[in-house]
Amino acid sequence: MLKIEHVRKNYDTFSLDCSLEVPQGCVTGLIGQNGAGKTTTFKALLGLISIDGGSIQIFDKNLQEFQVQDKQKLGVVLSDSGFSGYLTVDDIIPVLTHLYDSFDQSFFLQHLQKFGLPRGKKIREFSTGMKAKLKVLAAISHNPRLLILDEPTAGLDVVARDELLDMLRTFMEQDEQRSILISSHISSDLETMCDDLYMIHEGRIILHEDTDVLLSDYALLKVNEEQYRRLDTQYLLCSRKESYGYSCLTNQKQFYLENYPEIAVEKGSIDNVVTMMIRGEKL
Amino acid sequence: MTGLLIKDFRLLKVQKNFFTLIVFILLGMILFSEDNFFAVSFATFIFSLFSTSTVSYDEFDNGNPFLFSLPVTRKGYVLEKYCFGLILGGSAWFVSTLLVVIVQLTKGAASLTDLLLPSLALLPFMLFLLAVMLPIQLKFGSEKGRIVLIGVIGLIFLLGVLAVKAAEALHINLAFLFNSLSSLSMSALIFGAIAVMLLLLLLSLKISMAVMNRKEF
Repeated sequence: MLKIEHVRKNYDTFSLDCSLEVPQGCVTGLIGQNGAGKTTTFKALLGLISIDGGSIQIFDKNLQEFQVQDKQKLGVVLSDSGFSGYLTVDDIIPVLTHLYDSFDQSFFLQHLQKFGLPRGKKIREFSTGMKAKLKVLAAISHNPRLLILDEPTAGLDVVARDELLDMLRTFMEQDEQRSILISSHISSDLETMCDDLYMIHEGRIILHEDTDVLLSDYALLKVNEEQYRRLDTQYLLCSRKESYGYSCLTNQKQFYLENYPEIAVEKGSIDNVVTMMIRGEKL
Repeated sequence: MTGLLIKDFRLLKVQKNFFTLIVFILLGMILFSEDNFFAVSFATFIFSLFSTSTVSYDEFDNGNPFLFSLPVTRKGYVLEKYCFGLILGGSAWFVSTLLVVIVQLTKGAASLTDLLLPSLALLPFMLFLLAVMLPIQLKFGSEKGRIVLIGVIGLIFLLGVLAVKAAEALHINLAFLFNSLSSLSMSALIFGAIAVMLLLLLLSLKISMAVMNRKEF
């Protein structure tokens, strides 16, 4: 569905070299700190910035050959950019109808009502939650095959986030050929939504794992100095010095549970993995 | 492109109070003033320049990245801005000219040729304005664009002064030359100027497309 290989973009203080793939029918998450390169990756694959190398393929087509017709099959949400705030929802309906051949106006109107989005109010007067819902609704209302969502839940309260994620889940359930690439700061969003996850740090992908594997096989081992010295390090990804000794990240939880029953093992979570991969020392 | 045109017409609605006021001022000028030429030029330039304002509206609050993630090409966007400027400016020119003609003919103040020629003479200026303003707006944005525009206007003024000085040095009386032109040769001159400005507008379109293709959002 989407494949990017060694996409490079060089700025004065930052360089991106990113490869990732979103298979058909999958929800793929991109996670990383602020400034890690998530938005730059999104902008590159949308053709909003030029790239210094590498290749981007969407629907088995090079991005350079991408036409208006191909863009109709994409639904996009960007965290810091949206419809002109001077327009109202009533203004954007005819715009979307003319831009997308398969814009489903009745679906759009029905969900506007469901989410309580006013049609005659200027978008700049909307709350953060209303703006986010409108962006996602507009992105899914033309039957796209691939959704590209950069921080769609940023700044939302728990209820609004839940409503939005429900909308995305329903979108995926309706057609198994659809795919989503989503980035978020909120790990619980990604844990419940994504089939696989890429972690980006300083412009490089430092981890790619299935979410199920990450949650079942990854773990944080908490050991004292003595236990650390005796520990078999072959399945450790990284470790970090702590006040009590060391915390170590492993992707073979079962091995340590069976062979070191005395050590404390904390179940893997996205937050654990992110923190350890970024702040820990590689082994 | 239709979707983008609709968006820009909807943005026009944002300034509806301003444009309603303009329309009333124009009606006042046409009905009560003798200087109809000014009313037509005022309407034509104000409306055609709204095209550059929509570029600012698009840029407002970092709107461009999202806009260009929609099924819109950079070339299509530029083309739409030129079309929008031509549609708005052309419509304003047509309607104001029509009103002037109706009012003046009703008053029996002037002949149709005397009314139409000054109006027609505005069209090359409108095309020139669009050809200069749009690439500047697209390249530099509204803040820097204003400074660049002042520079460009200064340069054009300087070239005009130089042309007049050169004509004086060659003992050519430009005012006499224009006054001695017949209506027929004057209209030929105007249509010639329109043709030249259309070519300039095409060149400007090419430049704007190149500017947009290099832009990073």
